[in-house]
Amino acid sequence: MGVGFIAGVIGGLLFAHAAYATIQYRGMLKIMEEFSGPPTNVVIELLLGLVLCMVAGLAVPGKFHSILPDSEENRVVSLPSNLDFMIFNHRGSLSPFDPELKLKT
Amino acid sequence: MVGATEEARLNQLETQVDNGGGEAWEYLCLVRKLKARRSEKVLRHGIFILNSHIARSKLGGEEWTLYEQVAVAAMDCHRNDIANDCIEALSKKFPGSIRVGRLKGMLLEAKGAWPDAEKIYAQLLVDNPLDQIILKRKVAIAKAQGNLAAAVEYLNNYLETFMADHDAWRELAELYISIQMYKQAAFCYEELILSQPTIPLYHLAYADVLYTMGGLENLQAAKKYYASTINLTGGKNTRALYGICLSSVAINQLTKGRNKDEKDSADLQPLAAEALLKDYKERAPEKLALVTAMLRNIKLVS
Repeated sequence: MGVGFIAGVIGGLLFAHAAYATIQYRGMLKIMEEFSGPPTNVVIELLLGLVLCMVAGLAVPGKFHSILPDSEENRVVSLPSNLDFMIFNHRGSLSPFDPELKLKT
Repeated sequence: MVGATEEARLNQLETQVDNGGGEAWEYLCLVRKLKARRSEKVLRHGIFILNSHIARSKLGGEEWTLYEQVAVAAMDCHRNDIANDCIEALSKKFPGSIRVGRLKGMLLEAKGAWPDAEKIYAQLLVDNPLDQIILKRKVAIAKAQGNLAAAVEYLNNYLETFMADHDAWRELAELYISIQMYKQAAFCYEELILSQPTIPLYHLAYADVLYTMGGLENLQAAKKYYASTINLTGGKNTRALYGICLSSVAINQLTKGRNKDEKDSADLQPLAAEALLKDYKERAPEKLALVTAMLRNIKLVS
């Protein structure tokens, strides 16, 4: 989590700084020159912040689950035994279970 | 469905619990979640929890789930006395519950008192005629008595109402296979593949049925389904690899090499044989010679 989380924090700070710089630039526009485009430092900060936040968003919440059907997590190795149709007259009766075991009530 | 990771986890927990390593409750929960039938272990460790006052009070309301689980496990191990004690505890806590009534019916089944069990189920069905588990128990009663034709009939009636129940479709397929009605079994597996196309074991079972039926067309279809099983399991299913080898040999015998489509899948059989040999070399080297000899006999490797 460490690196991703720090990247996310830096990205958030960059966004905050970009917002602050934009407000300042807007104040300057009122007294000074014509508007020709957003200032370069704001654009760069926004792009960098976007990349860092994206990295954090992918890295921090955890590992991705595999969507491949043959990966270890998804590979079906056996079906559940059909317990609803379970029948009891099998050969288990010939090897009786530990007779010492009792439910205490 | 039981995934590879989950199965490994279950086995690991089982050895841990068997050697007294704790986490018995986690093990029992996992068994319940995966619907595994490990009655002997469940009975042993479940009773241990139920008998210890501290462990039992830690579970809170889950205690009663454990009673139910242990009761069924006890019936499966032919310890009807324990099952009876569990059911008594449950019926004291939940008088008049359908779920407990079901357990009582199952206990009568375990004792072999079929008419009494049927009577109990009939009474429960009066209150709730669409109780799926009780309807399934009636199938199980017929099956336990060896009356497979009746079981098939009950199950067909059940499936007319509950068509989306794939466990029931699987059971029906298995019943049909055990009375050698392969065409009907194949239909059930088709139904299962349609409803859950990503489960390789249905493809595998369907291919097995087709292979058993025989005939050129069925064998070719079986080969395709074995191939799709391999596709879905990443080649880790040994049965599917064998299936490819055997069905292609059977196809070759039927056509004697005068088949035009043979060229498309000519690579498949040596590849399957190779994968099989590699698998054996890794996991069971002492049996490698046997498999090589077998594959040489059917002329898949030289």
